[in-house]
Amino acid sequence: MEITMYHYLFIGLLLFLIGLLGSTLVKNVIKVLISIEIMLLGVNINFITFAAFCDNINFEGYIISLFYVGLGAVELAVALYLFYLMYQKKESDCIERFNEL
Amino acid sequence: MIDNPIIFYSASIFIILFALLSLFAKNVVYSLLSSIVVFFFGALFFYVLGSEYNAIIQAAIYGFAVPILIGLSIMFGGGKSNNRTKRTLSWYLPLFAGIFILAFIYLILMSFVIVPDTFNISGSFQVNAFDTIRTFARALFVDYVWAFELVSLLLTIVIAGLGMLRGTKHRGLRNSRGGEK
Repeated sequence: MEITMYHYLFIGLLLFLIGLLGSTLVKNVIKVLISIEIMLLGVNINFITFAAFCDNINFEGYIISLFYVGLGAVELAVALYLFYLMYQKKESDCIERFNEL
Repeated sequence: MIDNPIIFYSASIFIILFALLSLFAKNVVYSLLSSIVVFFFGALFFYVLGSEYNAIIQAAIYGFAVPILIGLSIMFGGGKSNNRTKRTLSWYLPLFAGIFILAFIYLILMSFVIVPDTFNISGSFQVNAFDTIRTFARALFVDYVWAFELVSLLLTIVIAGLGMLRGTKHRGLRNSRGGEK
């Protein structure tokens, strides 16, 4: 059975939906951050799928995916530091308690 | 690009299962371990799709650096790891690693048996890798040089901002202690 572009797109979509579900339902801040990273992974898989199947000359999807990886790591670093500061104030990792700066 | 249904379906099942596990595990440490597996399977997908460079970056940043960051924040912050967690981790980690390695060996052996030509791509692979790196270099330093410089600037601002936040926090603590005296 041949693996087509739609198989990979479907996996990317599933990962994005799982991340979306987690980032809206889960209360723990660390899990929310992990969910956002999973969403980013789904988006990256879609970018690379399109680059691999549709763009055989410039591979622009690969480049955009690289930028996404860099920005995702930066976003995570900042978010974790903010979480650390908030945790010192609130003594909790429940996201509902982080309602003020 | 490696077009192997066994690798694709097995990796898909694993990545979805571990993504769900990383969300719905009760312990944050288990979530972190599951997310590491998810990120590595993401790198496997990139490799299967023919982007070796992205796979290496994904494995290096999301497989090693990001879990270390999250693990440190769990240590300093939210993860209230008790003795039970440590006891469970002592068998959870080797079990996980064993299943992971066995699954990979099984997949590779099955791929050799069922689709013997899948890994016989050495000639075209080298040419493809060279072309990919050349394309990346041209894109990063010619076509997308402004985006590249902007991301570098953003990274510098983040590092400087974190330093300033840390300095502000320490000054605030010092001032509050001085006020208490």
